[in-house]
Amino acid sequence: MASLEKKAEFGEQISKQAKISSVEAKTKNSFKDFLRRLFKNKGAIFGAAIVLLLVISAIFAPYIAPFEYDKMNLPNMLRPPCREHIFGTDEFGRDIFSRIVYGARISLQVGFVAVGLSLVIGTVLGALAGYYKGIIDYIITAITDIAWSFPTTLLAIAFIAALGPSLRNVMIAIALVSWSGYCRLVRGQFLSLREQEFVEAARLLGMSDLRIIFKHILPNSLAPIIVMATLEFPKAIVVEASLSFLGLGAQPPKPSWGSILSNGKALIGQAPWISFFPGLMIMIVVLGFNLFGDALRDVLDPRLKE
Amino acid sequence: MLKYLIRRLILMIPVVIGMTVIVFLILHLAPGDPVDLIVGPNVTPEVYENIRRRLGLDQPLIIQYLKFMKSVIKGDLGVSILQERPVIELILERLPVTLQIGFAGFLITFVIAIPTGILAAVNRNTIIDYSCMTGAMLGISLPTFWFGLLLMYFFAYKMRLFPISGYGSLKHLVLPAFALGLTNAAITARMVRSSMLEVLRQDYIRTARSKGLAEKVVIYQHALKNAMIPIITLMGLRLGWIIGGSVMLEIVFSIPGLGRLIVESILSRDYPVVQGSMIVLTSSIILANILADILYAVVDPRIRYN
Repeated sequence: MASLEKKAEFGEQISKQAKISSVEAKTKNSFKDFLRRLFKNKGAIFGAAIVLLLVISAIFAPYIAPFEYDKMNLPNMLRPPCREHIFGTDEFGRDIFSRIVYGARISLQVGFVAVGLSLVIGTVLGALAGYYKGIIDYIITAITDIAWSFPTTLLAIAFIAALGPSLRNVMIAIALVSWSGYCRLVRGQFLSLREQEFVEAARLLGMSDLRIIFKHILPNSLAPIIVMATLEFPKAIVVEASLSFLGLGAQPPKPSWGSILSNGKALIGQAPWISFFPGLMIMIVVLGFNLFGDALRDVLDPRLKE
Repeated sequence: MLKYLIRRLILMIPVVIGMTVIVFLILHLAPGDPVDLIVGPNVTPEVYENIRRRLGLDQPLIIQYLKFMKSVIKGDLGVSILQERPVIELILERLPVTLQIGFAGFLITFVIAIPTGILAAVNRNTIIDYSCMTGAMLGISLPTFWFGLLLMYFFAYKMRLFPISGYGSLKHLVLPAFALGLTNAAITARMVRSSMLEVLRQDYIRTARSKGLAEKVVIYQHALKNAMIPIITLMGLRLGWIIGGSVMLEIVFSIPGLGRLIVESILSRDYPVVQGSMIVLTSSIILANILADILYAVVDPRIRYN
């Protein structure tokens, strides 16, 4: 009996030592494991490849695009797709392919800024509501419910009306209409996590609220937030394209995919390629993010699965 | 039940008030002067002041808001600055158009999404399921306005089956309704599938099967009925999306609906029209969500709200 206990104690000590020395290796391994599980999903590989292509074309646009995005060449106008202009030219003779390659910069920028801003707004409000409860929670929840009940596109249009049409304002408008999802998510997470023992322990140790929120609760609710951000990214790209299509976003000659599409709208009968290719790009990129986001959700947070 | 209904309706009041405050503030804090738009820059200060006073723009914001709300409750949404007609008249003129597109869109959604979702769920993890869900994934990534343009090109310009744009006959409605319905069907089909899978897992389905009922009866009479319950709520939540999509398609197909009225009024800073239409649209979305909730409780006796 005694020897058994001793053995157990000994085993524990060894495992403790092993734990300490392998912490680094373990995090590395779990990340490897995470990647392995993520890319077992073929959709994730496909999605990641598309996202990577988008990033590459945004960074190396000047090297990939055969022409300047705003270079006019009137004798060459409304050329259908050919060897020189693989996506054709528009009514000013500008190369559609080059415009689309440069347009990747706009989509990516809008995605990052709009999603980043809405994530910060939503997470901070959700954390405050879920952590403090009471009157703060009541007020934030009421505002969130109101923001939630607005149709996204319409509210974004209204914000643009107030701020004026420009790409910067589009990013602000998208952030202002899409934070409520994060807020609801984070609030829910905080409401349940704040009752957990490790939070109780942190509180008993006399840690400040700020430290508990950012160091202890937030890292534990990071997975669903990342998943949501990945799935919100394509939505931001579509809203930007929609607003630019309505003439409320990027102003000419900026090659936003939505504005190229809008240019092509009037010429759809004569020159369908002007609208066809930017729309196709939007679809492929959105598909890529959706596939990647879905796979990420399955690996990181299976509970979120529809 | 009645208690629940009354409570839901009372809870709606702060949301509607908050919504009106947001709409009101967005448009009144916007830079740009509506008086300038009416009279132009070359006008004497007296005339300018006169018009400003007539529109009530010289009063403090809070007074303007309270006056506005007082008349909204009476059903008076103000007078359009540019068209000099009552806003409610303009809205009632355009609303049926948007409702028709939305309704037709929902109809197409149901016709496509329900069979697809059932087919995928019943044949889970087979080639049928995978093709249905791949189709749905593509549909989710499809930008509605681009899809509208594609339909316009193929079915109106090339095949000449439908009018290119405008409004008036049933034929005008087909393409926009289809563009709206198909993209919405993609998301709905996924919901139908997961809801159906959830139901097929239940004990009462096993009971139905084990007492020797035909598979068709089990699926259509036992499973579908129960699977439809959460779909009702989800459809209510999709209404905001349908309206946003309708706005885009009204622009694509030059249809004189409420969405186009809003976009045009925003571009011309016709505050009262934007306010009125936003309030009508968002209140109907809020109301529709509550109706969906109530319907949910009515059709599913298992749900009791206390």
